Amino acid sequence: MRRLGGEVWFGLILLALCSAVAVLAPVLAPYDPRAFSGQPLERPSRAHPLGTNDVGQDILSELIYGARVSLTVALAAGAGTVLLGLLVGGMAGYAGGWLDQALMRLVDGMLSLPRLPLLILFATFLGSGLPQTIAVISFLFWPTTARVVRAQVQSVRQRGYVRMARQFGASHLYVFLRHILPAIGPLIAYGLVTSAGQAVAMEAGLAFLGLGDPLVQSWGLMMRFALNLPGLFLTDRWLWWLLPPALCITLLILALALIGIGLERNLNPRLARRWR
Amino acid sequence: MMLMVQDLRVTFLLDGKTGLRAVDGVSFDLAPGTSLGIVGETGAGKTTIARALLGLHPSGCVQGSIRLDGRELVGLSEEAWRAIRWRRIALVPQSVGTALDPVYRVGDQIAEPLRYHLGLSPAEAWGRSLELARRVGLEPRHLRAYPHQLSGGEKQRALLAMALSCAPDVLVLDEPTSGQDMLSRARLLDLLDALRREGGMGLLVISHDLAAVARLTERVAVLYAGQLVEVGPTAEVFQDPRHPYTWGLLHAYSDMSAARDLRGIRGAPPDPANPPPGCRFHPRCTQAIDRCRREEPPLRDIGGRWIACHLGGLQTLLRAEGLRKTFSVDGGEPEERVEAVREATLDIREGEVVALVGETGSGKTTLGQMLVGLLPPDGGRVVLEGRELTAARGKERRAMMSRIQLIPQDPFDAVSPRLTVAEMVREPLDIQGIGTPEEREAKVRQALRTVGLPASPDFLARRAHELSGGQLQRVVLARALVLEPKLIVADEPVSMLDPSEQARVINLLKEIQTERGLALLLISHDLALVRKIADRILVMHRGQIVEEGPGNRIVTRPEHEHTRMLLEAAPRLG
Repeated sequence: MRRLGGEVWFGLILLALCSAVAVLAPVLAPYDPRAFSGQPLERPSRAHPLGTNDVGQDILSELIYGARVSLTVALAAGAGTVLLGLLVGGMAGYAGGWLDQALMRLVDGMLSLPRLPLLILFATFLGSGLPQTIAVISFLFWPTTARVVRAQVQSVRQRGYVRMARQFGASHLYVFLRHILPAIGPLIAYGLVTSAGQAVAMEAGLAFLGLGDPLVQSWGLMMRFALNLPGLFLTDRWLWWLLPPALCITLLILALALIGIGLERNLNPRLARRWR
Repeated sequence: MMLMVQDLRVTFLLDGKTGLRAVDGVSFDLAPGTSLGIVGETGAGKTTIARALLGLHPSGCVQGSIRLDGRELVGLSEEAWRAIRWRRIALVPQSVGTALDPVYRVGDQIAEPLRYHLGLSPAEAWGRSLELARRVGLEPRHLRAYPHQLSGGEKQRALLAMALSCAPDVLVLDEPTSGQDMLSRARLLDLLDALRREGGMGLLVISHDLAAVARLTERVAVLYAGQLVEVGPTAEVFQDPRHPYTWGLLHAYSDMSAARDLRGIRGAPPDPANPPPGCRFHPRCTQAIDRCRREEPPLRDIGGRWIACHLGGLQTLLRAEGLRKTFSVDGGEPEERVEAVREATLDIREGEVVALVGETGSGKTTLGQMLVGLLPPDGGRVVLEGRELTAARGKERRAMMSRIQLIPQDPFDAVSPRLTVAEMVREPLDIQGIGTPEEREAKVRQALRTVGLPASPDFLARRAHELSGGQLQRVVLARALVLEPKLIVADEPVSMLDPSEQARVINLLKEIQTERGLALLLISHDLALVRKIADRILVMHRGQIVEEGPGNRIVTRPEHEHTRMLLEAAPRLG
């Protein structure tokens, strides 16, 4: 296919690493992250490479299992965002006319709302389960995708071969699935990756604010508990308790962003050159 | 009524058992002083009719009725026929070479019927012969010559003099102009026309020379495979043929006034020993329906014209009435609106090639897209085969869409960059759900071969960017053909190709059009190109059809100013 830049490879490797850790968590983690496997607040040792938290759970194990949560949220919320965006943006772009107008005004409205307060509001009302978190993130982020999808669908819809398919008697559904969707495929991939990155950050933020599921040990929640400890920064404890989850979140977001950049770069010259 | 032929049937026995019906139920009449032409292809039974009128077939072959002034001629004895031949009904036979006896002088041969039938003395007969010879434009020296000393045209005149010798009531001319050069043909036509104007005689002209028939006759009957398919006043029938066969025959005729190339009627005339069931023209007819395959259509009066067709003659395939389309610039004021098409009305008949000509921006493409249902019109309607296309939805729309196909201007835009050639061409079949996957593959390969492309696995797997413009346009054509449409709307189909490829694609399009019997609407700005293949030309200017007419008329005698401008702007070499 097209050449991928070095940074994209870096992103892909990071993501692959993170995924491997998530999948192999039971093998890699030395302890059950929920088990009280040591004394509270142990310093790093052979038994606990990153020490233990305030209730004596192994921090490394928490970190390893946390990858599962972050990736789940990334994937599910990313997919949710793209699906909603595709549905609304696709319909608006394909149908045009009053439906387009109505849907795009809705999108404008959604985009003008402040996200974080809304996120907090929804999280408070809907409760703090992981599915709720995913739903809330998807709900807040779809308008951006919808906009991009609409613009692209509008342009693809005017292409001769798409209109010709109607001429062969095709239904709108056929045209959409057979011609429009493949044409905007790269865009969807890009949308998926970028929304996944945003979702990771959002989930971490919610957990950090205490609006996530307190029973799901995500990286955000780890940071929250670490920061809840009075005088965390008085010792060097933050080095193995706060920094690793923060770093993990950053790296995951970085990985997704790098892949996104690569996809976008591949997308634009194609839009300009081959799609005319 | 002088001559009345009713339900004439002539059957020849092949190998003593199987009957070959050369003429099957032909009826016509001929009043004194009038003329009738019988036209048709070779083998249609024209000469058989002529010979039946002179009682030249073995008895028993002829059935039905031939009445001369009320007297039944069918079944007469040879004796009785002899009193009628020459005196009442005379024939100028087709083969002038063999009709004269090579060992007698021409003058003697002209005098012979005078002596035999009218009982004149040799001297009187010779005198009358001289008179007759002068009348047909022969000189006395021709009468003293032997047949081999005369040219074909002179022999023809001698035979005409013989036929006229006894002043017959009915003169039958069988292919009077065949085998003659254009100048002697013109002189002969002048002579025959003068004879016709003298009046009194009923003239029956049997010919495939449509121009001769047009010149000499008032009424014409079109014969196909031993049956009459259309009868009417000659000028009207030739101007506005209503039976599909007549239409095809006229379009196959090479005519000085036509600018376009010759077109044939697809297929071949049927074997007279084994005619197809139902309407005999149905295997070649572009509009045949099930009923045509089963029932023989009677010759009936349809609006003053006698036509043998279940559908009442040539059908209108597509009719557009008052189509309008206005494009507005988004959010623009009403005055910024562009009236792309204003009140466009047009008809396309079965198997017809119509060209829609106009300059860029005249609304041609918009009109074309409305005709095929790609663009909803703001007003007016499109009727395809009697059903309204503009109102069709769902399954009905899908079915109608398979009848009409578009070939757009830009082949690169018309195919998906993601699909292979096989997938592109198969797409309409997939959408319409036609056949099994294997059948679809076969249809795809066949369509590709039809348009002159290879159907190799390598080619089938290629994508758009691996093909040339000409190849891609052929792929688009193949894709339009897989659904076997009745009408193809081709919007500037060759404008993106180089001249030699243009010629190849246009010829291909024309060939497929004739072979498949489909109608073609060719949208183009190029009058020089379309006049080669269009039966009819519509000229569009500023969203309206400003002129419409037969291709040759538009090109030679344009009426609208804009048409003249287009003609003057058409490319000329030298």
